[in-house]
Amino acid sequence: MMLSSVAERVYWMSRYLERAQNTARLINVHTSLLLDLPKVKEINWYTLIRIFDGDPLYQKIYKNYSELNIMQFMMTDRENPSSLLSTIFALRENVRTSLDLLPEEIWEQVNQQYMLLQDAQKTVGNRHMRQAALRKIINGCQRIRGILDCHMSRDSAFDFIQVGKHIERADMNSRVLEMASVLLSETRSDLLRRHEGILWTNLLESLGARQMYQKHMKPRVQGRDVLQFLMHDSRFPRSIEYSLHDIGVYLRQLPDHGKIVDRCEAVEQQHQATSEVEIPVEEIQQFMDQTQYELGQLHGLIADQWFNPAVAGATQSQSQSQGTQSQSSQSNNSTE
Amino acid sequence: MKKQWNNYNPEGFYDELMLAQHQPRQPCYKLVEYLRHFSDEAFYTRVNESELVIREMGITFTVYSDAGNIDRAWPFDIIPRSIPASEWDRTEIGLKQRISALNQFIEDIYNDQKIIKDGVIPEEVVLQSKGYREQCVGMHPPHGVWANICGSDLVRHSDGKLYVLEDNLRVPSGVAYMLENRNITKRVLPELFQLLSIRPVNDYPAHLYEMLASLRPDINQPTIALLTPGIYNSAYFEHAFLAQQAGIVLLEGADLFVDKDDNVYMKTITGPERVDVIYRRIDDDFIDPEVFREDSVLGIPGIMRAWKKGNIAIANAPGCGVADDKVIYAYVPDMIRYYLGEEPSLPNVPTWVCRKADDFEYVMEHLPELVVKPANESGGYGMLVGPHSSEEKVEEFRKLIHENPNNYIAQPTLNLSVTPTFCDKDIAPRHLDLRPFILSGADIYVTPGGLTRVAMKEGSLVVNSSQGGGSKDTWIVDDSVVIGGGAA
Repeated sequence: MMLSSVAERVYWMSRYLERAQNTARLINVHTSLLLDLPKVKEINWYTLIRIFDGDPLYQKIYKNYSELNIMQFMMTDRENPSSLLSTIFALRENVRTSLDLLPEEIWEQVNQQYMLLQDAQKTVGNRHMRQAALRKIINGCQRIRGILDCHMSRDSAFDFIQVGKHIERADMNSRVLEMASVLLSETRSDLLRRHEGILWTNLLESLGARQMYQKHMKPRVQGRDVLQFLMHDSRFPRSIEYSLHDIGVYLRQLPDHGKIVDRCEAVEQQHQATSEVEIPVEEIQQFMDQTQYELGQLHGLIADQWFNPAVAGATQSQSQSQGTQSQSSQSNNSTE
Repeated sequence: MKKQWNNYNPEGFYDELMLAQHQPRQPCYKLVEYLRHFSDEAFYTRVNESELVIREMGITFTVYSDAGNIDRAWPFDIIPRSIPASEWDRTEIGLKQRISALNQFIEDIYNDQKIIKDGVIPEEVVLQSKGYREQCVGMHPPHGVWANICGSDLVRHSDGKLYVLEDNLRVPSGVAYMLENRNITKRVLPELFQLLSIRPVNDYPAHLYEMLASLRPDINQPTIALLTPGIYNSAYFEHAFLAQQAGIVLLEGADLFVDKDDNVYMKTITGPERVDVIYRRIDDDFIDPEVFREDSVLGIPGIMRAWKKGNIAIANAPGCGVADDKVIYAYVPDMIRYYLGEEPSLPNVPTWVCRKADDFEYVMEHLPELVVKPANESGGYGMLVGPHSSEEKVEEFRKLIHENPNNYIAQPTLNLSVTPTFCDKDIAPRHLDLRPFILSGADIYVTPGGLTRVAMKEGSLVVNSSQGGGSKDTWIVDDSVVIGGGAA
């Protein structure tokens, strides 16, 4: 038995966990990249804001794009729903409300993460301490994932956790890959062309993919190959194709999945169809947007089927399920 | 910590741990010896460790404030409070006796009202109770038990006796903190458990489950749920903790609905599923907007219908709060005699009921010495503590009692006992109480000990965590095998 509301919470728990780890990794890698790189006009601190579509909000809160401001916005600003602190806070709330079915060590781990980040508030400006805190966050998220993996029965809660993880992962992956349109652009600067190797390596690093790319593709890092690897590699668990496939695998475990699995398969086929052709540079952005849109649609179907089902019979439950919805939209700020 | 312990002085109060200055009570001799031999630094390290454990385990309670709700770390003092097992065994018998009488009383009130007809308790006293719900008339919950979970507050007076201060019958809270206090102590002072024989408390969730399951004797493995008002409730931590530990479903009103067949269902990913027992942690007023408060969004419309048909068991039963009333409290000893034909083995605090002419007169004459309480408030609100109040305040209450004597009771000001508590690098005596939890279903179970709450400020009697109170692990220590003792 699994409550609809609980299914929703563990699903979001998993998404926030994935988001926290990806965000921390991205900031970490980006910081180290900017240390290596001479000033390139296409890549700077602002790039981070761009990946998260955070500019409108950022401009409301901050006056200039300084490293400190951007780091505050990305890491510890509670006004920013996709900041690391907001993400960990939402993760913690969702764990707190699902404690009856998650392995209990998770709670301690999440609290440690939350405390760590609260303490980091004062030190985001200090690169050294910031990098150390981010590494701890990444490690903490990996530990939580490990506990889930080792200590949870393969029940519906686990299926929702896997689905949430891969939707979030594919979404983040596609956002980072939007950068490919900059890196492959015909009009890119000479300076950027000269540092291409570093930049693509960095992109791989930010998705935790460099090692496996070099092992399974080739040691030399090349733009088109990186794109191919991160989009279509069927064995690397952080490629979009792998995620789409796994979403389907776990959706099939869930009750009454017919319609949603059909949709998921269609999205997967659509995606696979692009593996043989080279996407024109000018269409990469649009392609990634489309991927994000499809993932959003898939999420909507999942919510309708399992999180906020219309209950037949009782009239009074209508208004109640609205109550659930408004509550969850409040506690589950997503970047979409 | 030798210096601090040598200077420790209970100042004339009854001390739970010390017989006199420098002299621990018998079963606690080893505890005090152990604590004394810490260096200051080593002891502070343990204190810090306990604070870290609390933060990491996320043991919090929610405080409502203007700035929004904040989760505060659970206030915990690492020096345990201890009670000899032989004394506790007698107390447990008294608590069982008391809850049996209370449950028979509630069953009687909603059915034959024999106790009223026989002139033991006046009808008006029962009807003035805010917890009385006429919608419950004629109901017979399983085993005749209405108050399935009771938290009775006990205090010790300077005569060394434990008294019942009040019975919390509606939605008593605190048991999760009792369990967590023990967990913290085991993590921070593990050596102590080798020195002494201390009764374990961690089987409470299993007893809770068995009690709840016993409310549906007709079903083999009933589906049991804990109904919480949600994450913003001050006791949410406890709700989640208990559901997880007892292996029952944690849910909110919005997860449930009553269908046309008058059964209660929860919304699951495979469609509606029947629920058989609900451990509710919301007040009667909010449980069913069709019957009680219409504006309640926490409850489940139609659940009272389902309950009356016997399709769902609710713990505690709606309406059981009738006996959770300060005036009715004064009659509990009479109830015990009336229903059980026994003398109460655990005393009430002597209570004057202002509606009785003699009592009224006494109260008016002695007002500045007394504690005055309104019938139906909790958490220490709307009270007069005579000896600690100004003359104006006393006169204000004199007027209030005159206007509405039915609503007030008075008690002597008790000299609550104290126990050594770590305060600002020193060990100092602080007042405390004790809330044991009593489970009643097919059987009765009493927690060994309970939740000890301690007033952290010097001289203060306020133990509520929302008002700066702290807590302690509570030990029932076997005193039959202890050798030694004497001066430390």
